[in-house]
Amino acid sequence: MEYVVRGLLSGAVYGLLALPMSLLFLTTGTIDFAVGSYALIAAAIAVTVGGGAGLAAGMGAALLAAALMALIFWLLKRRGNEDPITIALASFGLAVAIASLVLWTWGTKAFVLPSFSTFWDLGGIRVSPQGFINLGLSLAMVGALYFVLYRSDLGRMMRAAAVNPRGAELAGIAVTRVQCGAFMAGGAVAGLAGLLIVFSSGLDYTIPLPLTLAGFGAAIILGIKSPLRGFAGGAAMGIVEAVSAGYASSIVASLVPSLFVLAVLSMQFFFQKRFAGDRP
Amino acid sequence: MMRLVRERPNTCIAVVLAVTGVAAVQDHPVGMDNAVLIGVQALIALSVGLSYGQAGILSMAQAVLAAIGGYLSAIVALRWGVSPYLALLPAIALPTVLAWGLARFVTPLDHLAAALATLALSTVIEIAARNWDSVTGGYVGLTGVPTLPGVRTPGAFAAVVWFAVCVAIYLYENLMRSAHGRALNTIRHDRARATADGVDAPALLSAGFAMSAGFAGLAGWLYVHYITYMSPSSLDTQASISVLLMAVVGGVGYVLGPVIGTVLLSLLMQLLPAQEVQGLFFGGALIVILLVARDGILGYMDRTTRAWRAARGSRP
Repeated sequence: MEYVVRGLLSGAVYGLLALPMSLLFLTTGTIDFAVGSYALIAAAIAVTVGGGAGLAAGMGAALLAAALMALIFWLLKRRGNEDPITIALASFGLAVAIASLVLWTWGTKAFVLPSFSTFWDLGGIRVSPQGFINLGLSLAMVGALYFVLYRSDLGRMMRAAAVNPRGAELAGIAVTRVQCGAFMAGGAVAGLAGLLIVFSSGLDYTIPLPLTLAGFGAAIILGIKSPLRGFAGGAAMGIVEAVSAGYASSIVASLVPSLFVLAVLSMQFFFQKRFAGDRP
Repeated sequence: MMRLVRERPNTCIAVVLAVTGVAAVQDHPVGMDNAVLIGVQALIALSVGLSYGQAGILSMAQAVLAAIGGYLSAIVALRWGVSPYLALLPAIALPTVLAWGLARFVTPLDHLAAALATLALSTVIEIAARNWDSVTGGYVGLTGVPTLPGVRTPGAFAAVVWFAVCVAIYLYENLMRSAHGRALNTIRHDRARATADGVDAPALLSAGFAMSAGFAGLAGWLYVHYITYMSPSSLDTQASISVLLMAVVGGVGYVLGPVIGTVLLSLLMQLLPAQEVQGLFFGGALIVILLVARDGILGYMDRTTRAWRAARGSRP
């Protein structure tokens, strides 16, 4: 039971990271591998500046990095290069560049800020209030995203841009602008996730790739089509990770995100109807 | 002879360049060391060219597949004193089989899903190598791996590595000139058309990816017997990604593209002020290349020469 609660609290961050993944996949049909590095740059700037201003500066840095990715996406698209895999590759380049920038400037030190020293006693389980802040903020983000996607004009535009870009363009929707907005929103959410991780477990320059993989695992486990499911997937992954860390070992726990991805992809293999790349 | 030049131009170019390059660095200790390491990277980059450029699997596991070959050869040499030459075949075969198994699962899927699956596999193998202390030596790694018997100087080793690169290029070019290679090209442009032509697309793509893993295994084998040391961080996911970026910069769709990209970027890297800036340099180079010339350096050259020829031909 203790592990389940802990897993739920740590899984909230994975759920949060799953949001930009599913949002971006919904609107642009591609993956942004740089999501983990937005979290890293937000954490690095926040720790360096410090205090409340640091948090704002961290969010600003994440947004700036995401804006850079949106700019690259826009330039690629303008040059008639809309292959999702090319965009994913470019985001890889950006992720590597950001991680290297952080390593160059700050070295290999870990970014961590102290949070609460008191612990809440929850039916015999000691948990840090930070966990509840993580969970609360993540749930709020999911709620906000759900509202925007399914209850507002902007959300309708985003979904239209995803389903049929050409048709949406003809209907007067600025598809490229909506897609760039999705990249920026992804940067904001990932930056927030980075700040939450700074206060809970800390992170260093090696984190972007594992974080991206964890976020993606959370996003696809229950279907990438909905951000709500992505959050549930993140929570499930956190619980499995905590339980396996408790009963098996930390090695198994560190394998969990990758195994999730492999398991889901092989399930797709068994249940799919037609091959990718076929004409409909 | 002329027939060989006409039908296998890339191999001939590679052989000439490799011979001059290796001859030029003899007697320069730093140059020989660089020649070996760049050769190993070029071999991994070549495997990226085959898996991503031809089979369309954006693989982030190539360096880790190379590490498997390296670990296998190091382990049998250290435990049972098996000659490295005997371990060569298994060191190529194990990554090949593993990659084939993975590819059978991922080739029917979307390209993005395939890329993620290779990333996940790479992470799993890396964690396994870190924690399986009794076999891989854990974080510390394996030390005291024997060098190749009969290859005494770094200069000779550079020659061996670049010979391996040339053999790989020859095999690669052979494949692309065969019916299988043309089928791979067709799949890349239109999978439905290839299937209608009677090509078993998943099987062929898997075979292509398996062959690329074989190249990677060969690279890992050369690497471990040169460095005589193997640890989880020597060939990790980060290394896969930098090789991938170098291959794309060179031109991943062309046989020689990945090799040229690796050699150019590795040489330019020597000018960088610090090791840490590497990623910034790679990432920046990749983004610039994708924006300016999406087919890489060779693609850009190909297009400009064609445009130039067309302009000259159309003149009265």
